[in-house]
Amino acid sequence: MDPRKNKICQKPDKQNCQHNRQRDRREFLKGAARVAAFGGAAMLTGCSGTLGSKEELSLRWKEYFKKHYRLMTPEEKDETVQRLERLAKIRNGVNIQMSSAAPIDGVLFGYAFNVTRCEGYMECVAACVKENNLDRKSDMQYIRIFEMEHGQMSPEVGNAKFFHKVPVEDHFYMGVQCYHCQNAPCVKACPTKATWQEPDGIVVVDYDWCIGCRYCIAACPYYGRRFNWNDPVVPKQDMTKKQHYLGNRMRGRGQMEKCTFCVQRSRSGRLPACVEACPTGARVFGNLLDPDSEIRFVLKHKKVFRWKEDLGTDPKFWYFVD
Amino acid sequence: MNTQKFKNCLRGILPALLLILPTEAAYSAEGGVVETYKNATAPFDDATHVEAVLPLAVKTVPVSERYRGKLFYTEARKDKLERFSCSKCHNNQPVQIPRSAEMAHGKIALAHGSEDRPLSCFTCHKKDERDYLVTEQGMKVDMDHSYQMCGQCHFRQKKDWVGGAHGKRIANWAGQRVVQNCTACHNPHSPRFEKRWPATYSPPLSKSK
Repeated sequence: MDPRKNKICQKPDKQNCQHNRQRDRREFLKGAARVAAFGGAAMLTGCSGTLGSKEELSLRWKEYFKKHYRLMTPEEKDETVQRLERLAKIRNGVNIQMSSAAPIDGVLFGYAFNVTRCEGYMECVAACVKENNLDRKSDMQYIRIFEMEHGQMSPEVGNAKFFHKVPVEDHFYMGVQCYHCQNAPCVKACPTKATWQEPDGIVVVDYDWCIGCRYCIAACPYYGRRFNWNDPVVPKQDMTKKQHYLGNRMRGRGQMEKCTFCVQRSRSGRLPACVEACPTGARVFGNLLDPDSEIRFVLKHKKVFRWKEDLGTDPKFWYFVD
Repeated sequence: MNTQKFKNCLRGILPALLLILPTEAAYSAEGGVVETYKNATAPFDDATHVEAVLPLAVKTVPVSERYRGKLFYTEARKDKLERFSCSKCHNNQPVQIPRSAEMAHGKIALAHGSEDRPLSCFTCHKKDERDYLVTEQGMKVDMDHSYQMCGQCHFRQKKDWVGGAHGKRIANWAGQRVVQNCTACHNPHSPRFEKRWPATYSPPLSKSK
């Protein structure tokens, strides 16, 4: 026979065959995608309980695949904030107002702590826990107050577990929290870039990009960071509803968190909760770039020191004496 | 031969390089945030930068002094005093109600000044005009401006208060500067802070300790 004829004859067959194979692959992929979607959804809900409503599932799906906060456009930030607000309503029945307010131009936040004035009343700690929706189950606290004898200079030798009437004679009190270092070691340690320094000097965490490796804890020489070993428990009625994406919104298990100078407050001109709560005025907060600010007065006229300044971390948190 | 020379040369340079490079890195970080704020001398206008600072719910009065030429405010005091105005009872005639002094002012425990030279009522209160305070030099001081009164002895604290190292601002770091008055934190009759229980406690970091 003519070989050419044969070829022509065979061609459609072959095509048919290929077509079949293609369709098979496509269908397989479709099926696989379905399984993956179901599996993903099951993973998101932790494989336990109900999958939630269709709306909740779709919101969580979108949340799972959102971008890093710094790569989001303003519209995307608004969208994720809306999603998180809606999710809080669906899952916990709380009406929160979340913001993604940007840093203010010409502002660099600084903090000063008066070791002479602090009397160890711990009002700041209580206010911080309340304001930042800290986990009540594991008693998480951003601030630690050390009771120290006169002459001691480092909180490492102080007592942070005191519980008696304060102040005690011949002792002074020193508060320790995140210092928002200008040259922050935790930022360098993070493998996923989930923590960074904002232009106004606040070191923040994108909780959704934190993988919980805790390298930053190891890198921080000040014990400024906290880890969620369990899902944070905050009673509904005690929750602070005014939240910020980078601040006091609810975290999850396995995520890092830290003091943010109350970003939800400070970016709208308010003082952080600890400063506002302090009954002795030992805490001073303000804009380092404003020559008329209180913090600049302290830095100019008072004897100030920074803890572990020799490490070169360049903290924006000064201690001073009267 | 040439390569040997080159190697020797490198060996000579290497320690010098090792010395130079780290010090350079350290110097570049040395200026840091201190340098940054020291260079920031331009005035910062809160109003144009910070939007929507919440207005305060407290009644304020302008302070008679300026800090770097800027006006600031303090909390009013008169509307918080229980029995103001004082001239309702003390109106240049002896108060006739029996045991009235104990009823009206019995709670006051005066613990101000040193033990050998304690203050009395009329160290601060003006005897013939009870609505006012009076300084050692006889200047009449309004109840809202008690810092003028306290500042005559506690001048260091007052200087710090004007600048912002003593006392505290109310609610906002931006916007109109409103600071607490001396009497917001200190009881003028016994100004020292009391010994009391802390608001909360810190749990131990580890169970072993």
